[in-house]
Amino acid sequence: MTEKEMNCEQALRQIFAYVDRELGEEERAAMQAHLHTCKSCFSRMEFERLLKSKVRALRDDKATPSVGERVKALLKDF
Amino acid sequence: MGASKEFFENQVFGLLGALEGAARRLTRNDADAEDLVAETVLRAWHARGALECEAAFRSWMFRILNNTFISGLRRADARPKTEAIDGGDGDGEETGFSLFEQMHQPFLLWFGNPEQEFLDKLLREDLERALAGLPEHYRVVVILSDVEEFSYTEIAHTLQVPVGTVRSRLARARAALQKILWQQAGERGLKRAAAPCPEHDGKARGINHVGKGGIG
Repeated sequence: MTEKEMNCEQALRQIFAYVDRELGEEERAAMQAHLHTCKSCFSRMEFERLLKSKVRALRDDKATPSVGERVKALLKDF
Repeated sequence: MGASKEFFENQVFGLLGALEGAARRLTRNDADAEDLVAETVLRAWHARGALECEAAFRSWMFRILNNTFISGLRRADARPKTEAIDGGDGDGEETGFSLFEQMHQPFLLWFGNPEQEFLDKLLREDLERALAGLPEHYRVVVILSDVEEFSYTEIAHTLQVPVGTVRSRLARARAALQKILWQQAGERGLKRAAAPCPEHDGKARGINHVGKGGIG
């Protein structure tokens, strides 16, 4: 696989897709190569990744009892 | 295919917390969120014959949740006139705001890391408030991508928009979210603290002034 060289402008355009794991194999490799050599883009990527994980932590895994009861009652009628 | 009642029940209960969380963030109201979840389940049950495959149940439910939310807004016409329900990825909207760029100071490597400190102080309430401040077409992509971890393809399928639209809308949504977080920090007088200021030492320029109450 050939890694295309990426500059900072290109890296910043792809940064969300990289953090979201939405880049193809070649683009991902090019991005990683750039991040290995560019501290500024690496810091930006780390920031976006950590902020995303903070938002991810808002996720609710358990429904409140009132919603649970209401849906249970609904399903009983189906 | 049509889902069996047993499959439907199991899947719905497995997803209920996530559906309620998304509904609460969309409606910004607990009672409306409960109604939205109930209506979503009802609609899904009646439409279960249209479910293409069982593996797609999750994105299918979120699609119904989002569509039910949007049709509720249209019925109530409760949305602010400046907000677009279906998209509004217009040129006039903020696309380039970055919290990192507001705070990053490359010469402070030995003294501190303002952006890291900002993240450390960021509380759940700060993020919930910022998320609630987004227009709904932005809020929903952040919920689907960052909270529920849907892929771009799944989001595209859920919102019935092209993948390219998901990608650009998500970038705008994140810029808008970060701008709100930055404004919240400003309300607490933190912008000055985080801005580059060569005359002071690194720690003074960090965002150390964020109190225990978070940034909002």
